[in-house]
Amino acid sequence: MCSRPLGFGLQFLTGTNLGEALGAFGHYLTSHFATLRLEFWGLLVGGIATGFIYGMVAIGYTLVYGVLRLINFAHSEIFMSGGFASYFLLKAVVGNSLPSGWASIGLIALGVLAGGTAGAVMAIALERVAYRPLRRRNAPKLAYLISAIGASYFMFNLAGKEFGRYNISMPQIYIDHPVFTIFGAPVQMYYLVILIAGLIMLIGLDRLVATSKLGRSIRAVAQDAETASLMGVNIDRTIVLTFILGGALGGAAGFLFSLGSGVVYTMGFTPALKAFTAAVLGGIGNLRGAVIGGLLLGVAESFSIAFVQAAYFDVVAFGILVLVLLVRPTGILGERLGRSA
Amino acid sequence: MMMRFLRMPHVGRFFSSVAVVAIIAVVTGPPGSTATPTAGFTGSFTEKTSFFGLFATARYLEFFVFVLLLFGAWTLWVSRGEQLKAVTSKALGAPRAVAQHKPVKWGLRLLLVVVAIVLPHIVTDPFWQAAMVEQLAIFVLLALGLNVVVGFAGLLDLGFVAFYAIGAYVTAWVTGALPTPAPFGIHLNTFYAIPIAIVIVMIAGVLLGTPTLRLRGDYLAIVTLGFGEIITIFANNLYGITGGSEGTNAIPHFSFHAGFLKYVWGLGPVPYYYLTLLFVVIFILAFSLLEHSRVGRAWTAIREDEVAAESIGINPLKYKVMAFAIGAASAGFAGVITAGQTVFVSPATFTLPVSINILVLVIFGGMGSIAGVVLGALVIQTFSMYLIHTPPAGYQPSDLYIYVGALLVIMMIFRPAGLVPSRRRKREIGMAEAGEGHMDELLTGDTP
Amino acid sequence: MSDDRIFDVQNVTLRFGGVVSLNDVSLHQDRGEILAVIGPNGAGKTSLFNSLTGVYQPQEGVITFVGRDGKPISIIGKKPHKVSGAGVARTFQASRMFSALTTFENVKIGAESHRGFGAVGAMVKGPVTRRGERASDAKTVELLDFVGLRAKANTLSASLSYGDRRRLEIARGLATNPQVLLLDEPAAGTNPSEKLGLANLIRKVRDDMGVSILLIEHDMKLVMSLAERLYVLNFGSVIAQGTPAEVRSNPDVIEAYLGSSAEEMEGQT
Repeated sequence: MCSRPLGFGLQFLTGTNLGEALGAFGHYLTSHFATLRLEFWGLLVGGIATGFIYGMVAIGYTLVYGVLRLINFAHSEIFMSGGFASYFLLKAVVGNSLPSGWASIGLIALGVLAGGTAGAVMAIALERVAYRPLRRRNAPKLAYLISAIGASYFMFNLAGKEFGRYNISMPQIYIDHPVFTIFGAPVQMYYLVILIAGLIMLIGLDRLVATSKLGRSIRAVAQDAETASLMGVNIDRTIVLTFILGGALGGAAGFLFSLGSGVVYTMGFTPALKAFTAAVLGGIGNLRGAVIGGLLLGVAESFSIAFVQAAYFDVVAFGILVLVLLVRPTGILGERLGRSA
Repeated sequence: MMMRFLRMPHVGRFFSSVAVVAIIAVVTGPPGSTATPTAGFTGSFTEKTSFFGLFATARYLEFFVFVLLLFGAWTLWVSRGEQLKAVTSKALGAPRAVAQHKPVKWGLRLLLVVVAIVLPHIVTDPFWQAAMVEQLAIFVLLALGLNVVVGFAGLLDLGFVAFYAIGAYVTAWVTGALPTPAPFGIHLNTFYAIPIAIVIVMIAGVLLGTPTLRLRGDYLAIVTLGFGEIITIFANNLYGITGGSEGTNAIPHFSFHAGFLKYVWGLGPVPYYYLTLLFVVIFILAFSLLEHSRVGRAWTAIREDEVAAESIGINPLKYKVMAFAIGAASAGFAGVITAGQTVFVSPATFTLPVSINILVLVIFGGMGSIAGVVLGALVIQTFSMYLIHTPPAGYQPSDLYIYVGALLVIMMIFRPAGLVPSRRRKREIGMAEAGEGHMDELLTGDTP
Repeated sequence: MSDDRIFDVQNVTLRFGGVVSLNDVSLHQDRGEILAVIGPNGAGKTSLFNSLTGVYQPQEGVITFVGRDGKPISIIGKKPHKVSGAGVARTFQASRMFSALTTFENVKIGAESHRGFGAVGAMVKGPVTRRGERASDAKTVELLDFVGLRAKANTLSASLSYGDRRRLEIARGLATNPQVLLLDEPAAGTNPSEKLGLANLIRKVRDDMGVSILLIEHDMKLVMSLAERLYVLNFGSVIAQGTPAEVRSNPDVIEAYLGSSAEEMEGQT
């Protein structure tokens, strides 16, 4: 991979004269666009895979935002819990063997299940402890934000204490190899796993929200909680179920993410910040928007590797977030869980 | 049948007591590891301990005692809580009334200052003397600054540490300690860094605030969080400018030369303690005047009802940016002191958890209450220093955030206005809960 | 007459997505006039107020306001706080006071909002700040006297009665030295005797302070007794205007007010 430092980009700022500076900047752009052209397909596939993970996490933000009108700051820890749960379960099942074929598929499904369950359980706990007491008191929104931040800090630091603070890699449950190539770019097994697992879950969720009774009550609460409760929708139950759905998806995403990047107690922070960006990008409260936002952000980030050092990835994502918030705070598809989901 | 049993109030209370004490047991228990993920949990209950120093036993016995104690206290509170409240408020009524008199108030304040002045001569343990500057005085300053932003203006800033960092790095820069040359090649005395750092930090506050303070409250929180992260990323990676992750350790101490008067603040913490204390007092005075001024009232107005505030001619953006810049100034100043005292600056001092730490001081003490924030900072920072001074088995500094995180949740559930609530804030929270006022529109209203 | 206009609204159209809230509205107000805008719920009255004060930005049309110095300024595109600075004060349909502050503080915020910056001054409490505080205090006391809330100066505004909240909002608006005061349903939620007191207060504001009054009101009795001229809005358009007597006999207006309100109107004749 290309690793030209941003420092190179900044050199034109300290150049001795303007002409030299512009020349350096021009060279910087052309050489980096050349890299981008060469590795376009490879970067695109990687970006889409990352984008799926962002999208799955973003859905958690969007769902909770839909029913509670607030950002769940502790969603990052739901993601983390998915990573840890699947790690410990798979470690116990796999041991030191190297599974392949059907066994791999079964283990991946097991990992998704473990991550999803852990995420859902953590989401329930979070709702009960950090949100419900405040909802009972009709507390101001600032209180929810602070309570969620507190819960997040409690959870990931406790995880650090109990499970160690080093990054550990997932047991190998499949053999990572290039499966096929698109325009000469190899597509790794890891990406395929994310794409297939992600697609199944996202389509499942979309159908669930669009057609089931639960989906209808979520949409009703999102549109107008008061009227929904008059129509006989159980608000408390709907909110818990929304947390469960978002938590399950977030936890499963945590597992898929850990397959590539390993597990560590702070693993939630950066992907969650990016997923939040994705949710805003697609229009917070909008389910499909969250996935589209995730894909856009994943691809944009993947392409940015041609221009900046990996250390500055977060800066790029954050720059996109600020830009979206300032230019189009309602996102690409607009904020409307009620109608478009 | 089962559900009905569980719904009985006593049973629910008992199981909740078990859960709460279990969490406390795990939080205070031994750590686990990747290879033994359950060791921490089981050890929290099975490990040997001394029962309040009386006799040797295992933690689970303590656990049962605490469950019973909590259950008992809780049950008592449910049945006799109102009476208890009445008795305490009656008992506190007389001293409170006395404390309201102006001479008494000022006398108490003077007494506090005197105590603060003689404190380094009572506490002579070098660990605590250093902690008094680096962890107490500095964090009081930081909390005072964040209180202007969160408490007065009602803006949740999760990247406050960025201003602290900028203050410290500017100090390193103007004193010539960074790889990048000092401005005009002049290496200034550290004292001159104070005004320069404050001005630069305020400019940074205005630059960050002007575009972002138009955003809704929850978005602002995320954007400031990102800003804090970005400052750290740049400090870590721009080796040629900031010295990268190692930072720099060549910042000169504070020194004072005026004719025959000459004084150099050396390595010892006590001179720094007095220097910082002086500025803490100045900041407290300035910020309390500010709170009760036109500016403070305008902040209250914006916090409560931005639309109404605008309708009587208050420019919300202007006042929010002002809060950002003023809050940043005190953080920048804290940065100068830190840099001058430790002669050392590196990105590791300015991480996101530090921002959260400062936020906790403000929330715990009481948003918008200067006395509360100072008290909150003193209590929490002393506690965290105590944990470092006499750590429980396997304690890591970042374990502090387990306590801190739990404290945030607990405060929000039971005492959202903080330990020493600001009168205005307490009323506002009460009104929001009663569904009156328009405070929440700040956070949920659509951005125009 | 036309030389002495304070508000001149020409062909203003305001849309939200596909919904037209104000449709080609033209109206004007003369300096010193008590003007009323009436109309059924959802007719666009509050949208009109919000457009006049810079809260909403109409897509079409011109709103001109003639301020203290006689120079006409355009309202559209100005932020609410700028509009306030130009001399337009308002109250809200559901009173919006700063409920955690006292009556006195509420009015004082209005009195001092157009003074200079002063954060540094406030922190050192210099002579300029002290003088400013004293001036604002004096003005606040004067206004509380004027609206009859002096005795409740230290009461929390949230514990005031509906009628007193209205008075407080009027005092807070007047504290900004306005040329015109916009009142959004000042009588809503008040009892008959409070209503009478409010009507007298509103007239006194105009007579003693020379502030023009523009009001939206549902209570026909109050409107007919106070207003010198009125406009009728329906579905975002002006359907009638004139003196109370002219409007009362206008068939379009009776049509728009079919139902209980029509009876209410006829009750006045």
